[in-house]
Amino acid sequence: MKASIRKLGFSIAGLVLLVVSGLSFYESRHLKEPVVLSDGVTQVMKLSKYFPDIEGTANDCNIYVLEGKEPGATLCILGGTHPEEPAGRLAAWLFAENGVMMKGRLIVVLSANRSATTVTRVGGAYPPDFIIPSPWGGQTFRLGDRWSNPLDQWPDPEVYIHYPSGQYLAYLDSRNLNRCWPGRPNGTLTEKTAYAFLEMIKKEKVDVVIDLHEAELQYPVISTIVTHEKGQELAAVVSMTLTDLEGFKMGLEFSPKNLHGLSHREIGDYSDAISLLFEAPEPFLDATRGKTTTDQLLTGKDEFVVKAGKHGLLFEKIDEKGWPIDVRVGRHTSAILQTMASWTEVHPERPLLCDNVPRYAEVIEKGIGKFLQDPAHGKPGRVLFE
Amino acid sequence: MELVVTIIYYCLVGFVSVLLIYNLIKTTEWQKEVLYIIVLIPFLLRLFMLK
Amino acid sequence: MDMTTYALIVLGVMVLFYAGAKLLKLSTEISMFIAAAAGCVAGGFGFSARHIAEGAMTYLDINLIFITATLFMNILKESGGVAFVVRGMFRRFRRQRAILLVLLTILLLIPGALTGAGSVTVLIAGGMVSTVLLGLGVPKVKTAAIVFIVAGLSAAAPPISLWAMMTAAGVNMPYVGFFWPLMLPCLVAGLLTMFILGWRGAPADLERALEELPVPPAGMNWLKIILPFVVFLGLIVVGRTWPHETVVTGLPLMFLCAALTSYVLSPQKMDLFQISQKTIEQLLPLLGTLTCVGILVQIMTLTGVRGLLAVTTVTLPVALVFATLFIILPVSEAVLMWGAAPVIGVPLILLFNTMGLNPIVALAGMSIIWPLGDALPPTAIIGRLTVDVTGYQGSYGQFLKACLIPAVIMMIIGTLMVVYSKQLGFLTGL
Repeated sequence: MKASIRKLGFSIAGLVLLVVSGLSFYESRHLKEPVVLSDGVTQVMKLSKYFPDIEGTANDCNIYVLEGKEPGATLCILGGTHPEEPAGRLAAWLFAENGVMMKGRLIVVLSANRSATTVTRVGGAYPPDFIIPSPWGGQTFRLGDRWSNPLDQWPDPEVYIHYPSGQYLAYLDSRNLNRCWPGRPNGTLTEKTAYAFLEMIKKEKVDVVIDLHEAELQYPVISTIVTHEKGQELAAVVSMTLTDLEGFKMGLEFSPKNLHGLSHREIGDYSDAISLLFEAPEPFLDATRGKTTTDQLLTGKDEFVVKAGKHGLLFEKIDEKGWPIDVRVGRHTSAILQTMASWTEVHPERPLLCDNVPRYAEVIEKGIGKFLQDPAHGKPGRVLFE
Repeated sequence: MELVVTIIYYCLVGFVSVLLIYNLIKTTEWQKEVLYIIVLIPFLLRLFMLK
Repeated sequence: MDMTTYALIVLGVMVLFYAGAKLLKLSTEISMFIAAAAGCVAGGFGFSARHIAEGAMTYLDINLIFITATLFMNILKESGGVAFVVRGMFRRFRRQRAILLVLLTILLLIPGALTGAGSVTVLIAGGMVSTVLLGLGVPKVKTAAIVFIVAGLSAAAPPISLWAMMTAAGVNMPYVGFFWPLMLPCLVAGLLTMFILGWRGAPADLERALEELPVPPAGMNWLKIILPFVVFLGLIVVGRTWPHETVVTGLPLMFLCAALTSYVLSPQKMDLFQISQKTIEQLLPLLGTLTCVGILVQIMTLTGVRGLLAVTTVTLPVALVFATLFIILPVSEAVLMWGAAPVIGVPLILLFNTMGLNPIVALAGMSIIWPLGDALPPTAIIGRLTVDVTGYQGSYGQFLKACLIPAVIMMIIGTLMVVYSKQLGFLTGL
């Protein structure tokens, strides 16, 4: 009798743990992130328009189109390839909520791997979401992970073999959008997602694709533009101009020809577009990080990472000021705007010009929240959810 | 076909959950009871598509 | 409060609660869970259900591999397949000691290599192999030492080496290129162990030993044993040869297919539910360990304790790290079991990578040393299991002494692999 009561007690405790944690997981998977469309957004589509197999899946994300007042080239921003690198999503968000294209066309994706935004990394102790303070209160964003949610793609293969190169990669990376390019129509959800985006890039005749990322400071590819050989000239000018004019260092690296599945390699190889990838520093991703909190995520301050830096173990400098999210987002917005300007210098007949999006200095001065729009005051039909 | 494999995996997780619960009921050692419950949690979270 | 002080306090609380739980004779798994929960509270996060459950999810897929692989091995054993193989080998080669020792080594390596667990080797093949070794006149203490050491090596052997898999996952490194760096040292150390400890010994009554071995059921033959392995390997080969024409199956389903093949081919009827239920019962300590390790690592990451350990490790003098690997790794294994891989292995591999060493070979070298901790207290799970299964009744100290020579060989091989990993990089085939 005593034993049964004990067993019942343990079971109830287990059930409480299950229900409380389960609710938390459910809520963060279904958290709605409002997007108040900028006046410059002329059309919103679904990714499934380009590949119907994606319809109804977690990855049938929104595609925001900003048609310019004058014709020109087409640039596509991919935010959320790795949602756990939030500066990429937030920078894209600023374009969707503020951008007005004066010349050319802009396609903005906020959740390239939407499935990955709905889960946090096991063992990573990530907060489920974070709040960006704004004059009207603040907006909550899902933090997400590097890989698609196993609830949307399971099981993983014994080893992931990239299509079509045949390169062997970690089994987990079969859920990593930035290891699945160019994708395939009969593949896994993540491969289908990459395939759908590539169809979009081809059908919309995109000229430049920018994939926004962040990296741990212990990773050698950081604070840089990684470019396909087609974009060497453009990327070199952008890198130099940013370093000269905006006061932050932006390196330049070439996409290795033998490293497959990455956007900077495969989009350039399998479409007419120039593919670029921007990396900003994110100490939150470092394995030596201290307490894993939203504060660390947003301020980028971390004593342990600083200590690792003092021992020469990092590829980017860090001090007690950290790497605040405003700095990381500002780097991305400036780099995108500079890419448009540099493109236009070389292709004046097909210009790109975006208005109303803050650059590096302005984002740092006013904070990202200043440029996030209040969904409560959005015009009817102009508030969507990611 | 992918869906079939995924369903098999959910069935496998369901079967393991049943076995864990069966053993939990059978065992008389309190430490094993606790451990069965801890081990069971991730299987149930996946089975109910929560995580 | 600065981060170091904070993380040290949380670490102190975790160590205190772990030690207290062990003093109260609680199992290592539950002690780890208590330490994690205490760390979570001490860190100011309360009893966070979300973090505890998320940590518990960490090794769900590995647990599934474990369960299906062990189910396969258990079905093979229950069907009389293992007895058939051991008997066949013994009958054919009982007078050719060298060949028999080689075959016994391979037999001991297979279950752990496929499942990643040395305990599975001990449970599946340990008893029968020890019968054969005793029949060959090997003393009981040395028999137990052979079974323990080779079982440990089998866990490190490919395709499934949990230490390598868990560490690789922790540093975003593909679990690719590990086959030969793991296979060669495991084979070499396994054979050396078998020959050093098992070569001498006056053959006892061979006929009696043969009689003592379980008799396989009528109708069992080599085809019925090999076919399930063919199914398993076939699924791997097909998946790798035509990855984009075939559906993703994953290791658990591959093992499940092999298990079902073995079940269908068995000459005697078996109760699948009962075998499955026994498998879960047998695996509870291992499933529990992995689940609790996941929780512990999650809380250590949450509170910055993992960062503290990582940054301390990566900033240590390199010579000191090399010189103490043979102590650090077995001791971490003895305390945390597989938790040693994400907690200690990850920062070490980060350090080696930064130094320009080959992380794959270095990690393989470390994986050879880790299993030695399975004989040491406070856990000593596999050491104690081996002593039980082989029927050794002498002192545990004598058993450890018998393990010493092969253990030193493993430490030397492993350390040399780490130090010279760059030069051995060709083993990865990458």
